[in-house]
Amino acid sequence: MNHLFRTSQGPVEVILAKQGGIWHLGEHQATVGHDGRLMIQLASGASGFATVAKVGDVWWVHFEGCTFCLERIEPGASQSEDRGGLTAPMPGKVLDVFVEVGQLVESGQTLMILEAMKMEHRILASTSGHVTEIHFTMGEQVEQGSILLEMDED
Amino acid sequence: MVSKVLVANRGEIACRILRACKEAGLSSVAIYAANDAKSLFVELADQAILLEGDSITETYLNQAQILEIASSSGADALHPGFGFLSERADFARAVSEAGIQWVGPSPNAIEKMGDKMSARITMRNAGVPVIPGEEIETEDEEEALIAIERASTRVGYPLLLKASSGGGGKGMRAVKRPEDLLDAARSARREALASFGDGRVYLERLLTGSKHVEIQILADRHGRTIHLGERECSVQRRHQKVFEEAPCSTMTEEIRSAMGKAAVAAAMAVNYEGAGTVEFLLAPSGEFFFLEMNTRIQVEHPVTEMITGVDIVREQLRIAAGEPMSCGELHLRGHAIEVRLYAEDAANNFLPAIGPLAVFQPPEGPGIRLDTGVRQGDEVTPNYDPMLAKLIVWAPSRDEALQRMRRSLDEFVVLGTVTNLRFLRELCDVPDVIEGTTDTTMIDRLWPDGWSPSLPNEFEDGALMAAAIAESVGLHRQSVSSQEASEHSGPVSPFMTLKRRYP
Repeated sequence: MNHLFRTSQGPVEVILAKQGGIWHLGEHQATVGHDGRLMIQLASGASGFATVAKVGDVWWVHFEGCTFCLERIEPGASQSEDRGGLTAPMPGKVLDVFVEVGQLVESGQTLMILEAMKMEHRILASTSGHVTEIHFTMGEQVEQGSILLEMDED
Repeated sequence: MVSKVLVANRGEIACRILRACKEAGLSSVAIYAANDAKSLFVELADQAILLEGDSITETYLNQAQILEIASSSGADALHPGFGFLSERADFARAVSEAGIQWVGPSPNAIEKMGDKMSARITMRNAGVPVIPGEEIETEDEEEALIAIERASTRVGYPLLLKASSGGGGKGMRAVKRPEDLLDAARSARREALASFGDGRVYLERLLTGSKHVEIQILADRHGRTIHLGERECSVQRRHQKVFEEAPCSTMTEEIRSAMGKAAVAAAMAVNYEGAGTVEFLLAPSGEFFFLEMNTRIQVEHPVTEMITGVDIVREQLRIAAGEPMSCGELHLRGHAIEVRLYAEDAANNFLPAIGPLAVFQPPEGPGIRLDTGVRQGDEVTPNYDPMLAKLIVWAPSRDEALQRMRRSLDEFVVLGTVTNLRFLRELCDVPDVIEGTTDTTMIDRLWPDGWSPSLPNEFEDGALMAAAIAESVGLHRQSVSSQEASEHSGPVSPFMTLKRRYP
């Protein structure tokens, strides 16, 4: 069985084999417990239980004190592309907008201030260039990942 | 007499206070905003009353509405917790004038000590050393900025801008270069105004290499003012504490006694009543400087409770009722460590995170205490502070406490929302933490370009394998369908229908 996951280092394809009740991934082995946890036996000899939960397309896995977010890429799904926009790093409210469309900004310049959980966060220009679009105004709520402004690079 | 306590707070600290009320045999009233209707603290109260309004200003900071509810519900005491209105002298005064007992010090003491500027002045007059710094009294934006610029040349760089009525790192900015001052001042004032309704700031020199050490105080109306030893809270990110312990690893009997004396003197100078904390910076030389006094219960109070055996919130209630505090002579026993579990992405500059708590499994076993306001199935929203829980461990020695903390953090499973669990776990292996040589700049010093987790590759293999198997066998569908099955299939055994036989 093949599955594709997006990890912090990029997409990884996992090819599983199953023999009897035991799953194999290369030299690693695993069994499914009655409580939905997975007993993982690594090739190195280390072993432990993994706790898993799926939220949207993401499998959250807790294993050996580490938590991993592994987004499952549906077979045939196209990869989302980077549009050169500046996205909201967290959900919150736009507190201030410092630039206008067409304005030339320098790398590191503060473009916008977001507020979430009573803390302020500055949105900085990652490169210098012209602001081509601003999608939110002062006081508006933004979702995590929404594109706040767009720029074309110099 | 106190018999019914209104808790004017939410989340973890509201749960802590409501549980103390239950144990003390007091009835309790919770107030909650509409977006908190399903929160744990609402369940723990005997009575819960909805606050009208949407924003924090309209709800948890709405003095008039809270007072109205306190009166109409028949509460005879009000516990403000921390944050929100806990250090608002005007609110404490209004509560007292309504004939309701404020669980905390007098409005006068809050004004003098809670306001960071007048606290510095009070302490300086009392002969307690304070950090070189200057108060900016003016509220007018333009005038304040001019005054801040002038004061900065006298205070010197690097300096720290702090909100006068601040706390929790809000309205606080470290400024390393003069050219960053005005931007930082504007933003600190704005944040202070939004969080505390008071834009005043003060400047002080940023002392590097020092430990943040604070003394817990208790004072009753029967002439007793005592200190319960110190806590060390040097490990901070974005000026918010993440790792706290008691006792402080480098504390000596002489310094503890001198610091304790200074703290008690500070409390007595303002006729302090209830629980409070006096914060100091402890320089490597053993010199210490007054930072500020928090005139309320503090987030990290559990570590003191663990090593002294004193239930501080219970004592607050007792003192508010006019009774003498119950604790006798204190003996510090063992070592306690607290870490704050935040919904935040430690690898991305500690930005707040949101999401469902699909799995929330705290560790168990000896020496572990969890103070939280959430449970599995809750949603983490951007509406409030991102602190999910405080994990506290106790052990006979510091080494054993650290071992216990590592074990507990490894057992702690939170899935569905990004948390700082891994960051906390890796903190426990930092040489400065192991040696006890932590200072307030440690996190910035260790990770100047931000922290990123060190996750062994083979563990990621194991996790990928787990996810792939779970996807293959449809674990996500299975759990849902079994739930649905039990909801819809009705009783399968004839013995499952409720029967009662009478003799």
